[in-house]
Amino acid sequence: MFRKLVNVVEVLAAVGAVVAVVLLFANEPGSTTGSTPASPGAALFAANCASCHGADGEGGVGPQLADGAVVKQFPSVDDQITFVRDGSGSMPAFGGQLSPAQIRQVVEYTRTL
Amino acid sequence: MTDSVAAPAGTEGTAARRLVLVLLAGGAVAVALGVYGRAHDPTHEQPYTLFFSSTIQLKVWFATAALALAALQVLLGLRLYDKITVPRRTPSWLGDAHRLVGTLAFAVTLPVAYQCLWALGFQSTDTRVLVHSLLGCFFYGIFTVKVLAVRVRGLPGPTLPVAGGVVFVTLVGVWLTSALWFFTSRPPGLPAY
Repeated sequence: MFRKLVNVVEVLAAVGAVVAVVLLFANEPGSTTGSTPASPGAALFAANCASCHGADGEGGVGPQLADGAVVKQFPSVDDQITFVRDGSGSMPAFGGQLSPAQIRQVVEYTRTL
Repeated sequence: MTDSVAAPAGTEGTAARRLVLVLLAGGAVAVALGVYGRAHDPTHEQPYTLFFSSTIQLKVWFATAALALAALQVLLGLRLYDKITVPRRTPSWLGDAHRLVGTLAFAVTLPVAYQCLWALGFQSTDTRVLVHSLLGCFFYGIFTVKVLAVRVRGLPGPTLPVAGGVVFVTLVGVWLTSALWFFTSRPPGLPAY
């Protein structure tokens, strides 16, 4: 009886794995939109920031940026640029990955969210 | 006497060939996941939360549950191989329990891995993220090796326990670079669950 239960659970797990793989391809966003971000700042945000701050800056692991939250936190653009470049706490430093111009682009983009 | 227990001619070669095929299958799975994660456009969406405050908390706790189940499976495996002696008599259901716990651990990782691959993809933002991406792909590769090691006859004797040990160590690495990081580095105000 127990062995039958284990067999059933194994089959269900295998089915779950297959379903997950199928969904990975069925939900492929590139196949439907094929679009590129509207601005360099948006592209940089999507590539470097969205995984923590959310696709629209709504927040996630990282705090919310949208709806004026980041402007409230950093009234000065230069302060925000310094923060993004040097990092702090759980915020990674992007100075080694992005050029100063790219950091400015992505910072200015976040302030429009 | 020694000759009577020696492997028949050709057996070692056959076992080695089978092992190579099993390792190739596992490698193919790991590479396929990495290629998908790299080629796929991340959606950055949070498709499910269940009763957690967001998807990230769900992933953290599911990963923690997988790690706990995997640790239990290792203990059950150690008992099956008589490396520990508790309980003193091996229950007849121990092998099935070992399978069940391992299957549940694998099942719990699926929604975590799906969200990682679909919403985030293979990333190399910093060392932690890169190591996590590599270990995540490697985990399913070595898990494939372990499952095949159970099913394929005639593999070298240590294949199964070694594969099981590597699966567990890899899962520990995945957990350290994700859930532990979340627990210790999450921003103030972000709920733990």
